[in-house]
Amino acid sequence: METDRPDGRTPNQLRPLACSCSILHRAHGSASWAQGETKVLAAVYGPKAGTKKNENPEKASIEVIWKPKTGQIGKLEKEYEMILKRTLESICIRTIYPNTTTSVIVQVVHDDGALLPCAINAACTALVDAGIPLKHLAVAICCSVTDSGCIILDPTKEEEEKMKAYINLVFPNTIVSVLPERSSQVGSEPMAHGIMTSVTQGAMSVDDYLHCLDRGRAASARLSEFVRKNIGPKSTWLGRMGFLCR
Amino acid sequence: MREIQLPLSQTQKVRLQKALEQLESLSTKVNSDASVIIADSIHVNHEDGVLKGHGTADLNGEVVATLCGVVERVNKLVYVRALRSRYKPEVGDIVIGRVVEVAQKRWRLEINYNQDAVLLLSSMNMPDGVQRRRTAVDELNMRCIFEENDVVCAEVRGFQHDGLHLQARSRKYGKLNRGQLLTVPPYLVKRQKQHFHHLEEFGIDLILGCNGFIWVGEHVEAKDDMIEDQVSQSDSQVLFPNKNCVSLEEQEKNYTILETRKYISRAANAVRVLSTLGFNITLEIIKGIIDLSLSMNLDIHDMLGSEFCVLVAEKEAERRSSMKKRR
Repeated sequence: METDRPDGRTPNQLRPLACSCSILHRAHGSASWAQGETKVLAAVYGPKAGTKKNENPEKASIEVIWKPKTGQIGKLEKEYEMILKRTLESICIRTIYPNTTTSVIVQVVHDDGALLPCAINAACTALVDAGIPLKHLAVAICCSVTDSGCIILDPTKEEEEKMKAYINLVFPNTIVSVLPERSSQVGSEPMAHGIMTSVTQGAMSVDDYLHCLDRGRAASARLSEFVRKNIGPKSTWLGRMGFLCR
Repeated sequence: MREIQLPLSQTQKVRLQKALEQLESLSTKVNSDASVIIADSIHVNHEDGVLKGHGTADLNGEVVATLCGVVERVNKLVYVRALRSRYKPEVGDIVIGRVVEVAQKRWRLEINYNQDAVLLLSSMNMPDGVQRRRTAVDELNMRCIFEENDVVCAEVRGFQHDGLHLQARSRKYGKLNRGQLLTVPPYLVKRQKQHFHHLEEFGIDLILGCNGFIWVGEHVEAKDDMIEDQVSQSDSQVLFPNKNCVSLEEQEKNYTILETRKYISRAANAVRVLSTLGFNITLEIIKGIIDLSLSMNLDIHDMLGSEFCVLVAEKEAERRSSMKKRR
């Protein structure tokens, strides 16, 4: 059964994506990420010397500061901070810079649903912009389940309030070869099967969860392609110039 | 580090785009397969026993990139050169730093690295030029040599257990006065044999620090130690060059003539134009931009406008085309 969505999208359609890097002058890396009306600005400072009190000084530690659009941070923002910190810790190679702290500041510009995946995508792009070594990229997506059991991707805030349950998923980016011949030999991109982060909200059956995984994994391929196009060395002005001037 | 922020008109945008495409066509033949994104796999011949360098990691027997940048291969070493990252010190680099702290027997300098660099009192020449042991009196007088927020030129000595160590053991290093300090991305400054430049026709000194700090200042003569010894006998104030003195003679020493100050600003704006466009910062290109602005009778502040930046990009494209044909 097809569900008509208020903004005219099909159930598997994402909102339009927009991403720009290196927009803040003083940050070592920064990125702005927008999915539809939801927009997040992420800044990365560091690695800076020193470690916080209860952190492990033999590894690089990551500090996440979540700044809401208005007011003070509450319980929900604290949970977002913790989820974001764990996701970023799992993708960074933390043994290269011991006894350092990398600060990631996430500023919410507007919230129109699916805020946490938008913030994760912005923070990962900002880490790439800062030159922090990463194991792989991460793409985040939100799936939701209606009362009738239909699964839709990337809900808006209006749709979020009507949903029975929803899930935030973070997948690692796929590995593609540098040589174009090898890619054509495979025929299609190999699908990575890992899941980095999974956070559910509301009542969700096991079947719904597995359906959300399939839909999210399929949609993350489009997100991966968008991310790689935007953060590659040839995509930005400075990258092109630095690339040309080698 | 930010994107180009020039308010370009439509005609200037077209001209700039054409110059960029020309530059890209000159370089694409050599570099087309070299750029990687995080988690890209790098093709290597495993039978040769390849070494994995900076910016790469081993994942299931496959070499993958951990940074976005350009793959470089030196014999058996494969590494990724990041395009937007902070300074990576190497022994022997010329760096310019700013003093952030005066601690016991050392100064801490900020050099665009992830920790502060350390300049020990024993790693530098004393202002009077005498080679002797450092005493407790020298420790008490450390703020007379460098104080907080001074700009210092030094050389990377190496990594010790407590961090990165610098040294300033000749007359050409030390405190920098009467000029401008600029900050550019470190990858725009290439490592060369000479990082100290004296522009004689303008009377200014240019120091291209490997960490992206660039100093443009008034020229100072590098005196040898013998003359310094004779001066120190007659004038005890040489021991404390940082002392605040309101006498007319001291003000005369710190005065820089207007013509030299204009040349300093013009050279600094030339570096800013190169940084905005993302071009390599070398002495020849800086001189070329200064001469171009002088020949056009351009005001110093107009060098930062859109029209001049587009013109510089077009001149650079012409220069590389001519170099290509000549080769």
